[in-house]
Amino acid sequence: MRVGVYFCNCGTNIAGKIDPKQVKARLGDMPDVDYFETCGFLCSEDGKRFLAEDIRSREPDRVVIAACSPRDHEANFMRVLESAGLNPYLFQMANIREQVAWVTSDPERALSKGVSAIRSAIARVRLHEPLEKQKLDIVPNVLVIGAGPAGLKAALTLAAADRRVVLVEKDPVIGGKPVRYEELFPAMECAPCMLEPLMGNVFHGELADRVELLTQTEVVEVTGYYGNFIVKLSQQPRHVDPVQCIGCGECVAVCPANAPNEFNCGMSDRKAIDFPFAGALPYAPYLDHQTCIRDRGDDCRLCKDACPLGPDIIDLDAGELVKERNVGAIIVATGSGLYDCSAMSNLGYGRLPDVYTSYEFERILSSTGPTGGELVTKEGKLPGSVAIIHCVGSLDEAYQPYCSGVCCQYAFKYDHLLRSRHPDIRITHLYRHLVLPGKDGTSLYREAVTSHAVDLIRYENISDISLCSCNSGNGGTIISTGQQDKLNADLVILCPAITAAPGADTLAEVLDVSRDRWGFFEELHGRLDAAQSKLKGVYLAGTCQAPMDIQQAMQQGMAAAGYVLAGLVPGRKLEIEPITAAVQTDRCGGCRVCIAVCPYKATGFDEESRKSAVNPVLCHGCGTCVAACPAGAMEGHHFTSAEITAELEAALG
Amino acid sequence: MIRHNVPADFEPKIIGFLCNWCSYAGADKAGTAQLAYPPNIHVVRVMCSGRVDPQFVLQAYHKGADGVLILACHPGDCHYKEGNYRTAQRNRLLRLLLGQFGIEEERCRFDYVSAGEGDRFARIVTDMVESLKRLGPLATNHNRKES
Repeated sequence: MRVGVYFCNCGTNIAGKIDPKQVKARLGDMPDVDYFETCGFLCSEDGKRFLAEDIRSREPDRVVIAACSPRDHEANFMRVLESAGLNPYLFQMANIREQVAWVTSDPERALSKGVSAIRSAIARVRLHEPLEKQKLDIVPNVLVIGAGPAGLKAALTLAAADRRVVLVEKDPVIGGKPVRYEELFPAMECAPCMLEPLMGNVFHGELADRVELLTQTEVVEVTGYYGNFIVKLSQQPRHVDPVQCIGCGECVAVCPANAPNEFNCGMSDRKAIDFPFAGALPYAPYLDHQTCIRDRGDDCRLCKDACPLGPDIIDLDAGELVKERNVGAIIVATGSGLYDCSAMSNLGYGRLPDVYTSYEFERILSSTGPTGGELVTKEGKLPGSVAIIHCVGSLDEAYQPYCSGVCCQYAFKYDHLLRSRHPDIRITHLYRHLVLPGKDGTSLYREAVTSHAVDLIRYENISDISLCSCNSGNGGTIISTGQQDKLNADLVILCPAITAAPGADTLAEVLDVSRDRWGFFEELHGRLDAAQSKLKGVYLAGTCQAPMDIQQAMQQGMAAAGYVLAGLVPGRKLEIEPITAAVQTDRCGGCRVCIAVCPYKATGFDEESRKSAVNPVLCHGCGTCVAACPAGAMEGHHFTSAEITAELEAALG
Repeated sequence: MIRHNVPADFEPKIIGFLCNWCSYAGADKAGTAQLAYPPNIHVVRVMCSGRVDPQFVLQAYHKGADGVLILACHPGDCHYKEGNYRTAQRNRLLRLLLGQFGIEEERCRFDYVSAGEGDRFARIVTDMVESLKRLGPLATNHNRKES
């Protein structure tokens, strides 16, 4: 074996402290060292050219470069090696700049430490094996789950880059939660108007032919991995052809069956065949089985007969459709849920008549909501006083200890809207903490605190607050805060914590991705890769990952699309880094410890052979399983036990 | 465990296992900040502290190390999510074993150094060298044969 050693002077950075001539002399006893070369700046263009030419002419079996940190130039030198015809993994750097020359005062000791580092690199590199990047074909198409702001943004960004997108939505309407709001903080922008261009583009814009929208659809099975997933989708029947339907509503008018409308939180009724709410897209009614009297044996076909476009628009006998799609990546944008306020009995939610959650109140404010946007109490009166209780379930160790981040801002939005619509109204905010980040975060708050109609009361603990109904017969609610005088409110709005969406557990299981301790989909890294799940090829956008506002959700939609566009390029193969773990099957005893410790689900168990196997596409090469294997059956490429042992032995020799 | 009188010129040998993303970068940071610390450490770079097999630690002692340093990303910052927790778990067991071998606790140090904490890295190495100088050489059979 012939090892070539290159010593980079790095100007005087290294050679000023460590004399290369003396280094060369102290390597003389190492039999495998074929030659020792010095260079002024090996990372310069001249240096790299010299390195490539020298390797080409001398044809060493292995190369050691004593220079700066491998974190600086290892990748560059590996490319040089590759261009010179040497496998880039037959190479080791000795970090004698950052970790020797720059940190050792005594030149004699710096020389010894430098020599030791180079000797260990030589000992290690002798054991290096040539490694190749595995190249796999990819499918550039993408599945986006959830057609709220984050999912729409991701889908349209991908479509704009010519990707085919399958956009699935479990509801019969797209636009997520915000499309059901009237106005948004901080600038009172009309939410449906803001989202309309995005939603419109999915249906009939220039990108529409690249986005396959499937409403009332859920993902039921996923097989394969990054670059090549097969997803099975289950679509419930709408019974109305959304493409041909003109949305005239004739079928709705004749339908005899009623049920509480879940899109208005049950505060109004809908027909069995109905629009979720006015303006909902796709602009076509949907038929709800559970409400339809046909499901109870009746042969009603009033809706079908009423359709002015003929008998082909409404299909009363349609059933579930199972579809299969082949995609390279999956973006989860399934949104979030809200803390169940009825769990705090002291707040009277569900018991007292005019206590609403923020989401219900958004619907009350909305012109497409149960009251058409009119603010009235259950008794039909305009409320003279409104109490807004912040931090319900948030910032509370007993419930959700995190801050949900958006509640304060929408609470002051309510404040603004209520006062502008009803100048005589009195508003009281009960809060635990006020959190108003961002450059626009405090604008509505500042407006509220300067108003004489607004009081802010800080409470210590939500359990100190109790709500009960007024006995005076005038309706309304009495609120005790535990410290202040009791106050009276005709209407109470609770701002519940943002929580994981109902059904996130099932989807996480189907996708095999992990969730954090609160049930949100868990990101790969909180700061570096918050839009990436721990499973390669599955990305996260919007509140499925953490509480956030619409701006952040949109940005995360873009970020998730960015990961896909950068990672899955049509015509380019997926390159798998060779620094992965691999099972030596003859040693594996099938204990599955490696499967338990892998954070990426890259290790699996082959039932037939009763042995573990590593999927190199999913493996990140951390080596945790290698250290954990009690049989020594797991090997970490490029960080083998033999290589590491050789290095430390030489360093101690 | 046989305690020697510590020779005045004793320079302990330390093997440091540093994860690529945080601690190794922290050690580099000490370099770019030109923070001098004793040269008694040889750094073995691993991708993740989770790769540090306790056998490496035992081998290091066996081959003449007086101390072993394992540095990881701070809790919650692991590039591989939880490799540092695995190392911390293993380290607790390893300490029990080392105690049974009569190897002092100070000879095996587990700590966290982030990519920005060059000063912390230099301080940890300096502290460890000082404490090992007080302890003296690790007298394993291997060492005794040589001395």
